[in-house]
Amino acid sequence: MEGVSYQRFPRVKIRELKDDYAKFELRETDASMSNALRRVMIAEVPTIAIDLVEIEVNSSVLNDEFIAHRLGLIPLTSEKAMSMRFSRDCDACDGDGQCEYCSVEFHLRAKCMGDQTLDVTSKDLISSDHNVVPVDLADSYAYDSSDQQRGIIIVKLRRGQELRLRAIARKGIGKDHAKWSPAATVTFMYEPEIHINEDLMETLTLAERQAWVESSPTKVFDLDEATGQLKGCLLLQEVVVVDHEAYTYDEEVIKKAEAMGKPGLVEIYGKEDSFIFTVESTGAIKASQMVLNAIEVLKQKLDAVRLSEDTVEADDQFGELGAHMRGG
Amino acid sequence: MSPKQGEEHPKERQYGSEQVLDKQNLAAPLKSAVDKFQLLPEFLKVRGLVKQHLDSFNYFVNTGIKKIVRANDRIVSGIDPSIYLRFKDVRIGQPSVTMDGVSEKLNPHMCRLSDMTYAAPILVNIEYIQGSHTEKTIMEKNDVVIGRMPIMLRSCCCVLYGKDEAELSRLGECPLDPGGYFVIKGTEKVILIQEQLSKNRIIIDTDKKGNINASVTSSTETVKSKTVIQMEKEKMYLLLNQFMKKIPIMIVMKAMGMESDQEVVQMVGRDPRFSSLLLPSIEECASLDIYTQEKALEYLEGKVKKSTFSAPSSDKEGRALAILRDVFLANVPVHNNNFRPKCLYVAVMLRRMMEAMLNKDAMDDKDYVGNKRLELSGQLVSLLFEDLFKTMISEVKKTVDIILSKPSRSSRFDLSQFIVRDSITVGLERTLSTGNFDVKRFKMHRKGMTQVLARLSFIGTLGHMTRISPQFEKSRKVSGPRALQPSQWGMLCPCDTPEGEACGLVKNLALMTHVTTDEEEGPLISLCYCLGVEDLELLSGEELHTPTSFLVIFNGLILGKHRRPQRFADALRKLRRAGKIGEFVSVFVNEKQRCVYIASDGGRVCRPLVIADKGVSRIKQHHMKELVDGVRTFNDFLRDGLIEYLDVNEENNALIALYEGEATLDTTHIEIEPFTILGVCAGLIPYPHHNQSPRNTYQCAMGKQAMGNIAYNELCRMDTLLYLLVYPQRPLLTTRTIELVGYDKLGAGQNATVAVMSYSGYDIEDAIVMNKSSLDRGFGRCIVMKKYSAINQKYENNTSDRILRPDRTGPAAERVQILDDDGIAAPGEIIRPNDIYINKESPIETRGTMVSSTGQSDSKYRPTRQTYKGPEGETCVVDRVALCSDKNNSLCIKFLIRHTRRPEVGDKFSSRHGQKGVCGTIIQQEDFPFSERGICPDLIMNPHGFPSRMTVGKMIELLGGKAGVSCGRFHYGSAFGEPSGHADKVETISETLVRHGFSYSGKDLIYSGISGCPLQAYIFMGPIYYQKLKHMVLDKMHARGSGPRVMLTRQPTEGRARNGGLRVGEMERDCLIAYGASMLIFERLMISSDPFEVQVCRVCGLLGYYNHKLKAGICSTCKNGDNISTMKLPYACKLLIQADMGSLLALSLDTGTGLACCTVN
Repeated sequence: MEGVSYQRFPRVKIRELKDDYAKFELRETDASMSNALRRVMIAEVPTIAIDLVEIEVNSSVLNDEFIAHRLGLIPLTSEKAMSMRFSRDCDACDGDGQCEYCSVEFHLRAKCMGDQTLDVTSKDLISSDHNVVPVDLADSYAYDSSDQQRGIIIVKLRRGQELRLRAIARKGIGKDHAKWSPAATVTFMYEPEIHINEDLMETLTLAERQAWVESSPTKVFDLDEATGQLKGCLLLQEVVVVDHEAYTYDEEVIKKAEAMGKPGLVEIYGKEDSFIFTVESTGAIKASQMVLNAIEVLKQKLDAVRLSEDTVEADDQFGELGAHMRGG
Repeated sequence: MSPKQGEEHPKERQYGSEQVLDKQNLAAPLKSAVDKFQLLPEFLKVRGLVKQHLDSFNYFVNTGIKKIVRANDRIVSGIDPSIYLRFKDVRIGQPSVTMDGVSEKLNPHMCRLSDMTYAAPILVNIEYIQGSHTEKTIMEKNDVVIGRMPIMLRSCCCVLYGKDEAELSRLGECPLDPGGYFVIKGTEKVILIQEQLSKNRIIIDTDKKGNINASVTSSTETVKSKTVIQMEKEKMYLLLNQFMKKIPIMIVMKAMGMESDQEVVQMVGRDPRFSSLLLPSIEECASLDIYTQEKALEYLEGKVKKSTFSAPSSDKEGRALAILRDVFLANVPVHNNNFRPKCLYVAVMLRRMMEAMLNKDAMDDKDYVGNKRLELSGQLVSLLFEDLFKTMISEVKKTVDIILSKPSRSSRFDLSQFIVRDSITVGLERTLSTGNFDVKRFKMHRKGMTQVLARLSFIGTLGHMTRISPQFEKSRKVSGPRALQPSQWGMLCPCDTPEGEACGLVKNLALMTHVTTDEEEGPLISLCYCLGVEDLELLSGEELHTPTSFLVIFNGLILGKHRRPQRFADALRKLRRAGKIGEFVSVFVNEKQRCVYIASDGGRVCRPLVIADKGVSRIKQHHMKELVDGVRTFNDFLRDGLIEYLDVNEENNALIALYEGEATLDTTHIEIEPFTILGVCAGLIPYPHHNQSPRNTYQCAMGKQAMGNIAYNELCRMDTLLYLLVYPQRPLLTTRTIELVGYDKLGAGQNATVAVMSYSGYDIEDAIVMNKSSLDRGFGRCIVMKKYSAINQKYENNTSDRILRPDRTGPAAERVQILDDDGIAAPGEIIRPNDIYINKESPIETRGTMVSSTGQSDSKYRPTRQTYKGPEGETCVVDRVALCSDKNNSLCIKFLIRHTRRPEVGDKFSSRHGQKGVCGTIIQQEDFPFSERGICPDLIMNPHGFPSRMTVGKMIELLGGKAGVSCGRFHYGSAFGEPSGHADKVETISETLVRHGFSYSGKDLIYSGISGCPLQAYIFMGPIYYQKLKHMVLDKMHARGSGPRVMLTRQPTEGRARNGGLRVGEMERDCLIAYGASMLIFERLMISSDPFEVQVCRVCGLLGYYNHKLKAGICSTCKNGDNISTMKLPYACKLLIQADMGSLLALSLDTGTGLACCTVN
């Protein structure tokens, strides 16, 4: 079995790309690969988030831990997260926020002087590093400026209340705490493959076809106006697949076909090697960057496996699997 | 929700738009339903959820207290009867406190924070005689304070009465708080509603032997007694406490002047069956040779209990008669020794008994709600006040007499000086704070009448206010009183009862229940006579039971008879609906007993119903429109005779339709909303009518333990223990009750996306699997606040504790970090175990001679700093520090320590369907299953929780919640709400789901987060409202290696609080014996517990001691150390031997055989 290669060359086709949203196809690979990518995106792509809060004054209604927790969950732009150091690995400092390699310092000073309630939002956080600032989604969505869209609300202050604090943001990964996860949504689906048995379909009347098409909760099938053909005196429209991805594997159409006494009218199964990914980012990094970073992290992890001594030993145990892991 | 339901009907539109009242149209039955739901919020607005408490207290304050004072308005000196004091009027003032002679206004929140009693002065106007002997002048004084009355929050005396939301919040009060409780010494106290058998009513029952009883518990202002007439061996007897033996009833009748047997028979009724049943009793009377009243009284005289301390037979002749007059059936008044009403009353009792004998159906049911009365705080406080007031009067009288009997007095005699006393204030305060009602005057000794208001959750508070505590002791193993009574319908919640010993005994009020207060009897009685009741006095016994007439009984008192009972009842009802008599007067025609019962007494439960004429509801669409527009209030509905209150008895005369559509021609009333049969706690459950019933009961108990918000002022309170949720939510699937009680504003739970599937194996036995990222983002996060307090004590010798500036350099510098320079912990500081939170010192000498308070040297003080003991390794924070002066005017410092906790393995969670479970494991989000939309559940619940529990409601909640998040509308799941549109139907929910691309069944295709492969089954997934319960591992986990021991036995201490050991108890020991693990037993019971080395004398077998100088054991009995053996014993055993020696038992140890065995010499 020596030398047999299982290497495949996955293909990626990007369908849609926005700052915080990406949809792409991943083909010619298997579930392990796509799932690994998904898991890494959720748990191991590093970002920067507030990790340490020193509260100087807090006379707001929310207590210190509450505010600290809320601060932690504010997404910060983390383009430079990949190149930053984890504060635990940082030799230059002891993680006190003074170090440019591993931490970013934030300050927040807010006091309500007027009679109106003051919203303290993520915009009030003053960063020491202009690269690391609270994510502002307002720009990309062109909010009405009069709409008072001022970032993420941290706390509301009434007259006389004050909040003053110093916060230190650090690099981290989603595995440690969800605040470091750049992913809002990462999911994929198997691309469905739909085969309509044309011969059986022929036997259906228009009403039956209509009923069958409508039995699907999502619009997967439709009656095609163009291909309508005359049969007898009835115009029989052909059933076509309009959007196979709309299919949610609900099997409603299959059940319907069975109920109509036509089992095997349609066959649907997921393609084992094509996946459609949907990636949404919190805004910490761009969705596209998130995928690239994930691949990078995944590569690093595989390298770690390949280079570790255990793997060499494991070679004897796993044989070709070990070779496969080393890309052989 | 479909307020349009009615509008769709053409007839309805006519009313709405044209306003033309076509007569024919009016007469035609209106079949379409009018949405009467809007009545409910209106009802609750005028009534509140605890109106019964408030009404009862208001009645006491406005009427009851005046009656009491009027009845006891004179203090007359026993020595000089011309010296007197008269109370002219009484009223309750503004809640205030007098500090150093200055009166200061109080508000409830102030009292809560500074441990004061929220009370108002009782003010009286008095007229009294000043001076004595020669110079007497009549003086008057107004507004004399005789004591302070604790005030129920939101009652008419309370400062919160009638305040709007803004004013309430200015006073530091939560607008959603229902009131109805007292603040006594800073703690909130509720007087529980007490359930009792109704007073002054004839109850026919059987005793244990199967004898038929007719009993009356009489209660008047002066006397309380119980009269029982019993049928034994076919003869009837009277049982009364004052008589030693049972008395044949005919003798009693004769003693009351019914000398002729014929008259008695006539009074009972001339039915031959009755006569034959009465015959044995008559014969017995004859056999005793008693034919006249005199003879009968003589006979009774012999049976009167000789009370030991009564006056030695001063008027012995009258004793029996006096008992018959005053004690026997005390509720029937006797004027001028006219016993006729009493005789008739006895005759009616006999008749009822005989009816019951002939027909078992005529027996009364003690558990029937109509035979019950609820005693509320007002009545109880009034009882207490009456007792204290009378005690005060007698005390004043005593002191006045003592002073007057003194030959020479220095100052001028002023009677008004003596009534200013603490006894009423202290008595009220003590009773309310301990809950022990000890009113000797009324033979009332009850414990646990008041409870500290449960402030664990908002719903718990409400549930506590509507709780009804039973009259029976809980240990009785009877099922009758515990069973659900059909008459509870709409009055008491069928779900909300605790499990265990109090199951079915402790009940809760339903949402719309009202408890009546007493109403003036006089006008009603004369009204009855006006309406054609023939007076009892004018009727002969024969006439009483003529077949065409009904007896009219008013509050248990026979008024007379009426020939046309139905007409009479209708007339009364008409008057009631017109508002001419009180809306809570009930008229009940009992066909079986041929009686018309009229009740106006307090404590009856009743509820509002819509009146229907010939099955047509009186409430029309335009009424509801006016209500919605705010032109009409709930009281207008009452006044206009559209709605009336029915009590349990009167419900028997009504035919109540659930919905308008179901009404027939005979229908007299229509329910307002069916879900109001549930109480506050059960009202939170969505779709409870789809659940197995015990599940709803479990949820009622659990809803009270759920964490959430407790009140808007929760952060300003200083409770001993407070559990708050960091991000509480309003349930996605709500009910109407939730909106009505305000649970949507003060929620106790979070909407979790739940996947019903098996995962990881850590979800067996109802455990749930939680998503770590959800927890990171704040799911189930809670704040626990705990109060610690310290008092700066003052002592007898004028010394006091002192709080010192911490020494920041000394050996304890580490432990005083969090202290400010004033020696008190600073708010916001992180406090760790063993940290000192108050650096206090106490004087060593606290008694003896007075010392100047300042000039004490440091050596005279010893440190009494208080250290914090909390869970190790947790960051708790000092939240707030409050300083106030307590009752003795010494400084009291309260610390609130806050701890924020995220859920951990072992914390308890529950849905709203009695499905509790602990967190079994916490799993990373990437390992969690996900759907192709990217939905990832917050928690996973094992499907095995469903089949045996049958909580279908939970499944519908999931569906409804899922549809709710999809379409952006809160879905409803009110009980029985589908027909009236207060609950969404599964069908429509499914349609919504399909419209948003979900499966109609709520199941989704899910991918495994670990492998990325789709799961084999579709997974039922959607949001369910989850509650975090107060039971958390952190408060419960406990283990110990070595640790503290009890001084006496040297065995490990007991309990988690004392870091105690885990006991190997009797049963565990038995297991080990059976298994034969002797070494293990030896280790657990001795080595790990209390091993002790003793010196035993081999000769005498007694214990010796070890002499450290000689390094040898010595027997103190033999006075030598020759035959000493050393052995190990449990210290407890050594104690036993020595204790026995102390009681002259020599327990000697026989070491000879090698086996240690004891012989008792």
